[in-house]
Amino acid sequence: MALPKQVADELRRVVGRESVIDSANDLRIFERDGSIEGAMPDAVVLASTTEDVAGVMKVAANHRIPVVPRGAGTGLSGGAVTIRGGIALQVTRMRRILEIDPVAQTALVEPGVVNQELSLAAAQHGLFYAPDPSSQKACTIGGNAAENSGGPHCLYYGVTTNHVLGMEVVLADGSVHWVNGDTPDRIGLDLCGILVGSEGTLCAITKIKVKLLRVPPSIATLLAAFPSIETASQAVSAVIGHGIVPAALEMMDSVTVGAVEAHYHAGYPTDAGAVLLVEVDGIAESTRELTAAISKILGENRGYGLREAQTPAERELLWAGRKGAIGALGRIKPNYYLHDGVVPRSRLPQVLSAVGEIGEHYKLPVANVFHAGDGNLHPNILFDLRDREVLHQVESAGEEMLRAVVELGGALSGEHGIGLEKAAYMPWIYSDDDLDAMHRVKDVFDAGGTLNPGKIFPDPSRKAVHLAGRTGRAIEAKWW
Amino acid sequence: MNAPAIEKPASAEALAKALHEAASHRLAVIPVGGGKARGMGDIPKSCDVELHTTRLDRVIEHSQADMVVSVEAGITLEALQAELGKAGQFLPLDPFNSPGHTIGGLLATGWTGPLRLRFGSPRDFLIGVRVALPDGKLATGGGRVVKNVSGYDMMKLHYGALGSLGVIVAASFKVFPKPLHDVTVTSEGGWDDADRALAMPVAPSALEIFSDGRILARYTGSRDAVDRVVGDLDWTIEEPSIWERHSRRAPARWARIAAPRSVLRRLVEALPRGAGWWASPGTGVAHWAIASDAPSVLDMRARTASAGGTLVMLDAPYDFMREVGAWGTPPKTIEIMRRLKAAFDPDGVLNPGRFVV
Repeated sequence: MALPKQVADELRRVVGRESVIDSANDLRIFERDGSIEGAMPDAVVLASTTEDVAGVMKVAANHRIPVVPRGAGTGLSGGAVTIRGGIALQVTRMRRILEIDPVAQTALVEPGVVNQELSLAAAQHGLFYAPDPSSQKACTIGGNAAENSGGPHCLYYGVTTNHVLGMEVVLADGSVHWVNGDTPDRIGLDLCGILVGSEGTLCAITKIKVKLLRVPPSIATLLAAFPSIETASQAVSAVIGHGIVPAALEMMDSVTVGAVEAHYHAGYPTDAGAVLLVEVDGIAESTRELTAAISKILGENRGYGLREAQTPAERELLWAGRKGAIGALGRIKPNYYLHDGVVPRSRLPQVLSAVGEIGEHYKLPVANVFHAGDGNLHPNILFDLRDREVLHQVESAGEEMLRAVVELGGALSGEHGIGLEKAAYMPWIYSDDDLDAMHRVKDVFDAGGTLNPGKIFPDPSRKAVHLAGRTGRAIEAKWW
Repeated sequence: MNAPAIEKPASAEALAKALHEAASHRLAVIPVGGGKARGMGDIPKSCDVELHTTRLDRVIEHSQADMVVSVEAGITLEALQAELGKAGQFLPLDPFNSPGHTIGGLLATGWTGPLRLRFGSPRDFLIGVRVALPDGKLATGGGRVVKNVSGYDMMKLHYGALGSLGVIVAASFKVFPKPLHDVTVTSEGGWDDADRALAMPVAPSALEIFSDGRILARYTGSRDAVDRVVGDLDWTIEEPSIWERHSRRAPARWARIAAPRSVLRRLVEALPRGAGWWASPGTGVAHWAIASDAPSVLDMRARTASAGGTLVMLDAPYDFMREVGAWGTPPKTIEIMRRLKAAFDPDGVLNPGRFVV
């Protein structure tokens, strides 16, 4: 549905004629993010400044039109999909690194700055930005902050919210605010904390101040093969049980390893039931000692074929395989549906065996590649979207996997966000009172409900949960 | 002011009920944990009910393998550490005015200690929270997993909010393995030595500098790395029990100065001549034992604010607190904060007049 001409004209007055896209052909590019479901925006606005964003918000508020902030569109939960139409507010033109302060170890960036570009720029000062989603070559810092994104190295370093010091944000009424800042203890409520991870439902982000960390002088990357996912999971628990928290601890199953090896020739052992990629960093004394300790533990837990990257190039190759794994899965099927549930680490063997059974039941190949140290699984259900019949099966399988996660004491999403695709399942983990508290926050920031509607909160009218007789009730939270 | 009614509910549900009961009569409610931060904040406008969490003192679940613990809010930090210690784990939190803090109190006040340098604050390792609201509801956010973006980050809403939006009744944390090696060293070398230690390739887990020029640095981690850095520094080895003594500090009049770490030294050097203080230069936090008059505090607050920092009073006699105010100028976003307050505590019964909102 096209925007009324008056609204389109107002938007053009805010951002300029060339920066509003509303022809159907051009809009199609903005229909999707990295998840399955898409919906066409009525218009795309390419913002270049905070003033642009504020002006667009005001127009949208006046006409009660939905606004969905959008970065690179790499999100995996439908967060950037304009499910109720309206305006896709594209911030990728706002891509300046405004400041890197090597003394304070901070950076001030615009939301469209690509994650990896920030780390490359910081590297000139011996610094890096820690959160490293696998899409870091494309995804934006603004999108990372909106989704509270993670990545392999978040096991040790923490997720995005642990690295955002402050933000400039635009609320639904077009007002511009700075929240938090460089000081470690502020006065009043932690607005930045509540806005990071709010998935574009509370604000648009126009500047982000982040922490940078010193590049560790020594990095050691280990690869080990295991006969099965269970034995590899056991090894993960053993490493951490020994008091060692590596920088990253990643697992890939045999399906993933096969696809990755065919694509990257990274030297992954294709006969393995599962492969662990472990990284430690620090000074050389520390990485040597930890590498020795970890190697011993992995060996004691049926790890074999242990290999340590000998050169930076070899390390890059091992990581290229991991970070490019999902792309490599395209060798098996053209499409994937990726879930992101997270369980207490000790439940990994149970949840992965449930995931395997569900895949078999639906006769769908499943590839697991995930952050084992955090208990954050990423089952990729592989399919071919040209077979329309299969989509319902894929969604049902994904749903059953999430249900297994929740029944084992887990959560719906570790780092991808609830977005569109998991909103219906929120009552599985939160009671009405819990959700009501979150709604109060929503109403404070966006009383008119124009910001990214249809996300996070369940909308029963839109999407039925597939599993019969299992809807609408929180699983009893025994830990309270 | 009449003496307040003291309520000590034995369950989260009973606490929520007591809070709702008070709120429905528009009675002013002051939540109390260990009572270790009673002096924090402005003097409440009124106090009809003191709502104590001390009977909510259970460890609900500690999963050693998952390195996650869930506790009721009234448990003391020491009781929790004892439980975690049995499994070789700990919560990296070492607040001042110890012992006796409750977990709920520490979350509400946002008090931290020297270990914040390495581990961050509970803002970074609090993974779930349950809160009683004035309308009697119990609302949970987060969960028991170490990484979670399911819905809004409600932990952030209540951490450091001084119980102004609700009363924390339970919390879950990511916990940490006790370090493989843990060594403390000391020097008399003042800021230059502190800067030197902070610039080395192995960062200390805690580094404190005192007004007499003394420094304490704590190194944790792998044995080889700790031994190397301690050797390179060549300072005097100190007993680890020094940290427990350090955490007992709680002057009768004190303030917390928080600022970007690059300006902390300049601020601390602007304190009145002979002032007693200690600071964490790596995190940008200093504590000031105030022996001077109220105008000196207001002067320091103005300097701190113009450097982008905050000066918050942690305790002082009533008259002194009235004169300086606990918080200073509210942030520009105060209107948004007031709207949040109104959404959770529409009648303003929780800690009225004590917090910023």
